[in-house]
Amino acid sequence: MWNNVEFSFEAVWKVLLVGLVLGAGLPLIFALGIRSLAWGSGGDAEVHTAGTTGTRANPFGTVLGWFLFLVVLAGIALGITFIVASGFGKQLSFEHIFPTIVDKH
Amino acid sequence: MTILRVTQASVILALVIVTALAFDFTNGFHDTANAMATTIATGALKPKTAVALSGVLNLVGAFLSVQVALTVTNAVVKIQNSDGTPKESLTANGGEAMLLIILAGLAGGIVWNLLTWLLGLPSSSSHALFGGLIGATVAGLGWAGVKWNGDGTKLDGVVGKVLLPAVVSPVIAGLVAVVGTWVIFKITVGIAARYAQRGFKWGQIGSASLVSLAHGTNDAQKTMGVITLALLASGHWTSTSSIPFWVKVACAVAIALGTYLGGWRIIRTLGKGLVDIAPAQGMAAQSASAAVILASSHLGFALSTTHVATGSVLGSGVGRPGAEVRWRVAGRMVSAWLITLPAAGLVGALLWYAGDTIGGLAGAIVVFALLVVAAAGMWLRSRRVRVDQHNVNDDWDAVVAPAEVAAPVTVAS
Repeated sequence: MWNNVEFSFEAVWKVLLVGLVLGAGLPLIFALGIRSLAWGSGGDAEVHTAGTTGTRANPFGTVLGWFLFLVVLAGIALGITFIVASGFGKQLSFEHIFPTIVDKH
Repeated sequence: MTILRVTQASVILALVIVTALAFDFTNGFHDTANAMATTIATGALKPKTAVALSGVLNLVGAFLSVQVALTVTNAVVKIQNSDGTPKESLTANGGEAMLLIILAGLAGGIVWNLLTWLLGLPSSSSHALFGGLIGATVAGLGWAGVKWNGDGTKLDGVVGKVLLPAVVSPVIAGLVAVVGTWVIFKITVGIAARYAQRGFKWGQIGSASLVSLAHGTNDAQKTMGVITLALLASGHWTSTSSIPFWVKVACAVAIALGTYLGGWRIIRTLGKGLVDIAPAQGMAAQSASAAVILASSHLGFALSTTHVATGSVLGSGVGRPGAEVRWRVAGRMVSAWLITLPAAGLVGALLWYAGDTIGGLAGAIVVFALLVVAAAGMWLRSRRVRVDQHNVNDDWDAVVAPAEVAAPVTVAS
């Protein structure tokens, strides 16, 4: 019984950590992307005082926004690679910082 | 005499396979909500489109899982050896003893899945399956047949693989969703609502797809393992390192069709009942679910998709400033989770006694017939107040209108 409790706490904080980084981190980047796009297109995309035209469009915001979306897409691609790899008896290893596919041990 | 025995066992085997696929089907529609409830509730996808997408991704997911889940029952009961072969004591007479335990266990899981669906409660299909198997094993082999804690070298047994994960998973997923929702709302303050909604709808569709794919790889495997165990017990299959291809195809199709059917009652509870969800919350909830499910299965700490998804949706309600969470609905769900294991176990045990008392082929047929009667009864009961793709998104507090009521006639004045 207590062995199991210990094992699960070992797993819990890891799941929580990865969950926070990917599960809250990627939405954060995605939200920043939307913020940047809104900044990029200006005008009615952002809340502004009625009667004024709002901020001017800013191409840098648009570029930044799409870059952030690319980061999110890379994160999702990592997730799918993980599902597929574990289906074929492989797993993702982060030994070399960037993910590589290795045999499951 | 020998020939008669073999034929008998083959018929029982056929009943077990049909029941296993039926369980897989209920597993599908019970869990559509986990991936798609919030996507449907916010209108990011039309209800039918959402269940079709989820069904296809479950099908793909099921084929991606080539890993052999043959030892699935080993987590909770002792009816298999560690290499996946059935215990020799259960394989006499074409494996009748083993087949009856599996049949009664599966039937217990199905009955509980249907009852919770009727009540619109998301409860874990894996818990229902484990509960049914535990009940049937206790009835058949006594309490010693249940593995409560494992041998202390790894997370194992009913406590380690079922109870502890059930307690912690909604909490972990909930925390992640709270943080995710909170930062999204902080960041997007000041962006015109319509502009932000459009972006988050795409985020929702992406994250919900990821949950569907992960579900297909995780859940279809369990039924594949159970069917292969039945084939091993009856001597129709001998390899413990692979499963028959037709088993994989049948399970993948069953779970995908179930998902496509859509458990509208559960989708409604999860999407509309717990919190009134906005696209940003939906994206935060699904991302939290996807990340927690993938991280935990990577670490071998198998969590129930249902518990994770429910925790995420609750978390997205807590994290959004000013959102209302219906804790009473959440309370009903948690009580359903608490009784899932014993309730499915009880049904599994009773069915095993029924089957064993009558004995042989007749016993198995009676178990199957009881299951069909229970399923038909619950289905008929569900027709009284229908929930389907047309009324799944109606206001929670208003009375659910029967779907078939004709649209009000507009009178020209």
